Amino acid sequence: MPARTVRRAVRRGLSPTMVRLVTAIFVLQLLSSALVIVFLRGQMLDVVRLDRERQVTDVRDDLLAAYYDGGREELAEFITARRGSAADPAVFVALIGKGAPVLSNLVRVPDIPLSTKPQQVAVRRGPDQPPSEGVALVGQLPDGERLVVGVVSLAERRIDLAFASTAELTIAVAVLMALLSAVVVGFVISRRTHLIAETAAELASGNFGARVPIEGTGDGFDHLRQQVNLMAERIGELVGQLSAVSGALAHDLRSPVTRLSAAIDLALARAEEPRAIEALQAARADADALRTMLENALEISLIEGGAVEDRRRPLDLAAVAEDLVELYDPLAEQSEVRLEARLEPVTASADRELVSRALANLIDNALKYGGDAVVVSTRAVPDADGMTWAEIAVEDNGPGIAPTDRTRVVERFVRLDDARTRAGGGLGLAMVSAVARLHGGSFVLGDPVADGPSGGKGLVATLRLPC
Amino acid sequence: MAGRILLVEDDPQIADYIMSGLAEEGFTVDHAGNGRDGLFLATDSQFDLVVLDRMLPGMDGLALLKAMRAAEMATPVIMLSALASTDDRIAGLTAGADDYLGKPFSFGELLARIQALLRRASGAVRQVQETTLRCADLELDRLTRQVRRGTRKIALQPREFRLLEYMLMHAGEVVTRTMLLEAVWDYHFDPGTNVIDVHISRLRRKIDDGEEQTLFHTVRGAGYRLAAD
Repeated sequence: MPARTVRRAVRRGLSPTMVRLVTAIFVLQLLSSALVIVFLRGQMLDVVRLDRERQVTDVRDDLLAAYYDGGREELAEFITARRGSAADPAVFVALIGKGAPVLSNLVRVPDIPLSTKPQQVAVRRGPDQPPSEGVALVGQLPDGERLVVGVVSLAERRIDLAFASTAELTIAVAVLMALLSAVVVGFVISRRTHLIAETAAELASGNFGARVPIEGTGDGFDHLRQQVNLMAERIGELVGQLSAVSGALAHDLRSPVTRLSAAIDLALARAEEPRAIEALQAARADADALRTMLENALEISLIEGGAVEDRRRPLDLAAVAEDLVELYDPLAEQSEVRLEARLEPVTASADRELVSRALANLIDNALKYGGDAVVVSTRAVPDADGMTWAEIAVEDNGPGIAPTDRTRVVERFVRLDDARTRAGGGLGLAMVSAVARLHGGSFVLGDPVADGPSGGKGLVATLRLPC
Repeated sequence: MAGRILLVEDDPQIADYIMSGLAEEGFTVDHAGNGRDGLFLATDSQFDLVVLDRMLPGMDGLALLKAMRAAEMATPVIMLSALASTDDRIAGLTAGADDYLGKPFSFGELLARIQALLRRASGAVRQVQETTLRCADLELDRLTRQVRRGTRKIALQPREFRLLEYMLMHAGEVVTRTMLLEAVWDYHFDPGTNVIDVHISRLRRKIDDGEEQTLFHTVRGAGYRLAAD
């Protein structure tokens, strides 16, 4: 990606809406991470607690088995010797009743009421150990003694410790992931909206055939795309109607303009007074200009509607260009413009009449609005797909056309403000563009190359036709 | 020059203008407002030329023309049409029209074309085979491609030669810019501005500069005429 694109993307990415969206996603993502951690910890603690309770029950069952096997002595022996399941250092046992209590892993008898369910207790397991949390079961033996069996919750503390010691890492990962997802979502949304915006821009530049590809996901973006496409279709229709109307208008205007010309001619033939003749000649020139405009408008309508017969033949563009340069040469000389031809032989499949008209328009424009040097060139140009195109270019060293205006001037009846005072119907470039489209070629206005004949200023109008 | 002309045109106002214009020039004009009347008049009486609108009620101009040619009528026909594209022009010419003029046209253009056709029909136009074309003391040799005015040799560019050749072939007639563009450059569009005027004035300088008698004349509202008067 070129640096300019990146900068533009960053600028777009930093719009207030985008910042708010990305921040919201970031915060929500963090909150959800926190919730997941808390929930997971609770779940783990539950698992650990159930495990402890099962262990406690197991130990008690073992002890009871010993009791039923060999009575109290066997049980006391089992406890003090920490046999079997009582060997676990987390397990504590107390036998309270007759005589001194038998303790295992305990400093003193814990104070716990009788219960059939495990309950939370605090016990002190060694003389210099802090009290530990644990779960214990308290049951009564048949001889009235009480048996306390419990397990300290060392593991829970360890989990907490583990959580605490990895907290920094956990938070860092959570923040990173939140940031990442926020940026990814922001990027995806931004990219999708810009894709749609680009189509809209193409529509704005006059390509009413532009459509956003529908992905068929049925989401909001797809809905937006469909609506944009519908809108494009409607615009295309309206523009089509508009050009049909302007074509029809031009058609209907022809008869009155013919009558106008005829009336002026009639008056001219009879006028004697020099001033009347002068005025009539001015009117005649205007009527002629009007006639030419109508003819051009009609011709463009015909060409754009594809209503012309296919008269494409292999055509030597250099010969076409040479003829027109020769035609315009005296005019150029009169207006003190150096008109030069740099022709390479190239053959295009084209309609001589239409291509000549298009090139005549380009040369005419260059002579009117260009500087004092106009170069007409032809050449064969291969493109990236290996196709060869025939190009006719007209380059001038005049003031040129700002890149932003270039699409606009190709439209019908558009002329730039600074050129408005000069003659011309504003149809010339639209005509060239229509001819290019009819031939499956293209027409572009560009900057001249710095080492070109015009020294890098002015305008290059290039008509590209298929060979 | 007088003659009898049949005008077949359905637009009454355009018909009026053409008729009054032609009457002004000394022509006798008969008018038909639709194709059937037009065909009837054309076959019934003798005309020197027919000005025929392409789109007519009753019978299409193209069909009328074909019917005339099928009846072996050789009367010169100028076809007028709002359909001025190259396709329509070719269709008109292949149907047997001698000339084709797109609407809107200027009356001067129509008049010049009528006069050129009448001259050609009357055999007044020099034959194409003629090797030397003359007008007063201007002489053009088509074989040696030499041009002289009296004893003065005139060097011309190839295109200037063809321009002068065409003017000499139509000496005495009004030649319009469009006619020159069609005949000398083979373009059927108006390149705008005054491209042809500049070519003519260049040629005129070579021919007329320093001469007592000017041969090139500008005809107001129409074009040019090469003549000794």
